[in-house]
Amino acid sequence: MRVETVWLGRGGQGIVTATYIVANASIIDGFYAIANPEFGAERRGAPVKAFLTISKEPIEDQEPVKTPDVVVVFDDKLIDSMRFAIDAVKPGGYVIINTGKSPEEAKKLVGRDDVYLVVLDAIDIARRHVKLDVPNGPLAGAFSKVMGFPTLESIKQAFETQLGKAVEQNFAATKEAYEKAVVIPPARVDASAKPKGIISTTSAFLTGPYEIVGWREVNKAGAVFPGTSLLYTTGGWRIDKPVIDHSKCIMCRKCWLYCPDDAIVEAWREVEGPRGRRFRMKAIDFDYQYCKGCGVCAEVCPTGAIQMVREL
Amino acid sequence: MTAQLVAPKERKVAQKRIALTGNHAVALAVKMARVEVIAAYPITPQTPVVERLAEYVNNGELDAEYIPVESEHSAMSAVIGASAMGARTFTETSSQGLYHMYENLPIAVGLRLPVVMGMAVRTISAPINVWGDYSDVMAMRELGWIIYVTQSAQEAFDTVIQAYRVAEDSRVHLPAVVAYDGFWTSHVLQPLDVPEDEEEVVRYAPITRSWVKLDVDNPAQLGAVGTPEWYWEIRWQAVEALRTSLKVIQEADEEYGKVFGRSYGILTPYRLEDAELAIVAYGSIFGIVKKVVDRLRREGVRSGALKLRVLRPWPGDMIKKLLEHVDKVAVIDRAINHGGPLYGPMAVEIAATIQKPVYNVLATIGMRAIDSDMIYDAAVKIHRGLWAPNTPYTVGLRGYE
Ligand code: SF4
Ligand code: SF4
Repeated sequence: MRVETVWLGRGGQGIVTATYIVANASIIDGFYAIANPEFGAERRGAPVKAFLTISKEPIEDQEPVKTPDVVVVFDDKLIDSMRFAIDAVKPGGYVIINTGKSPEEAKKLVGRDDVYLVVLDAIDIARRHVKLDVPNGPLAGAFSKVMGFPTLESIKQAFETQLGKAVEQNFAATKEAYEKAVVIPPARVDASAKPKGIISTTSAFLTGPYEIVGWREVNKAGAVFPGTSLLYTTGGWRIDKPVIDHSKCIMCRKCWLYCPDDAIVEAWREVEGPRGRRFRMKAIDFDYQYCKGCGVCAEVCPTGAIQMVREL
Repeated sequence: MTAQLVAPKERKVAQKRIALTGNHAVALAVKMARVEVIAAYPITPQTPVVERLAEYVNNGELDAEYIPVESEHSAMSAVIGASAMGARTFTETSSQGLYHMYENLPIAVGLRLPVVMGMAVRTISAPINVWGDYSDVMAMRELGWIIYVTQSAQEAFDTVIQAYRVAEDSRVHLPAVVAYDGFWTSHVLQPLDVPEDEEEVVRYAPITRSWVKLDVDNPAQLGAVGTPEWYWEIRWQAVEALRTSLKVIQEADEEYGKVFGRSYGILTPYRLEDAELAIVAYGSIFGIVKKVVDRLRREGVRSGALKLRVLRPWPGDMIKKLLEHVDKVAVIDRAINHGGPLYGPMAVEIAATIQKPVYNVLATIGMRAIDSDMIYDAAVKIHRGLWAPNTPYTVGLRGYE
């Protein structure tokens, strides 16, 4: 028995920790496991991959996982940009996904009917128990439920060694996820079928449509010529989005000043005056393509006009 | 036979004979090459180079920025920065100073900056020893720099000028170091011929500014992250450029010979054609090695010698061709390859190149004096079969045979 898994998430969501915890718990249960995260520029919100292989036999071959048995997705907005990983799951494998959406919607989003789909709102669970947007405990719970290992008891022990703090809260989240995760079995499984694609080993950090060229064509000296961040939409990194109550806004523009992503814009808004006349006035708006939901604007607003609300 | 001397009448450029130490010869070459930014920290035995350059800048003879940095790490950083701005740059170092710059040495390669550096070679601490051997420059071999090793003040002078032409050639764009013996060249006063009209030097080696640089009209970011998708490809360009540079080095040397009347080749063979015993050496001791060859020849031993002038890129094919018919090849190494397959770095490389065992002789470590009798004795032992190949032998070390 050998189970190869890929965990997809965003910097700050505890992806690496999740694989360490599940590996650690599996080792406690008598398995062999290796958790090898993909190291990169650690940026909060940026896409991250981690690999975890669990086996009854010792694992000496640290081969990259190209066609996983299980993919764990920490954020449903990653499905599109990391579709290659979902496509690579072996028929009959598992896609475990954190989403606030209904299982039916999630199924449509994943778009595969030859794999087990495991759906849970890990963010909601984590927020209630741990008070943080770290869905790793709940996803470990869902993993345990569908795979039958590692045991919840071992996951708790792994929390103690890996985290050393908030063990009870994290474990409560794990347990709730274990109970609540919805499992949709595949409509059909052709076990002899090959996955639709593979996770390419050179695409370690590639999450976009980069052109891969040979050494003669790569820019000399690695020089980077001017580009634009217009194509680099960070809007998908969001869990909460800012929403404004215009009646409270005094147009001080503090939010505009502090937004790290230039995602706050001034727009024209039509309003109705006291005697029914309609006129246009300046108003604060958000460019959600780029707003990564950091909440700085809500924090600095002197009148409390901005609220951060969960975006499903 | 030696490619060293070309009859004066072949020179296109009028020259005058002056007397300078190796260090001052290098400083003069740098001045004549119209270097624009110099950043250097003094360290024995190269100090007179940077002192002389500071004087040139101070008295207006050289219109350059002189940055008196607080350490070699900063010196290399500063010339990398200046070179990235498109300036012709120079720095110089020795021994621990080189090791202090080490972090920055591969950066000049990856950024493809044609920095030229001088090196009055010196051994390494501890114990502290400011005297000459080749421990420092040998530690640069993996990095991607072009490495010249020169024999005399004249050769150091000529090679610095050639190095600019090669480094700034658009087929190359790599940093280059010109090494010469600490004290035995750096502080020895020797005659040397220099062009009367300094402009001839820049005419021979014009500043091309053709490398990738920071330019407001064509903005770019240099030194950005190279993720695993790109790093190797970018680095491979430098690997290929270094390989290609061998041709450029040869061209530049031949062209220099036509203009200034002196060329050295990539390697200098001496009486090798029918040799049964060859002594491979580098740096200032080549003169006494030649003397030993002549003496052995007089005694009926068909001997020859080979001087290494370009260590990187490694001229493997040329070496193979020059040595393939020789029975016994001895390599005099002037740096210790601690615990290596052979105890000298060049012995290892020569053995790998000619694919047969070599006689490995260590000498001049910490500037232990060497004379032609000592080399002669070693050569005789090798010739008579008293020394075995693949075994480290020393010339001048007490208590070791
Ligand atoms: S900080 Fe608050 S009050 Fe000020 S402009 Fe922004 S939303 Fe309006
Ligand atoms: S949450 Fe507010 S401050 Fe943060 S990126 Fe979005 S608009 Fe900008």
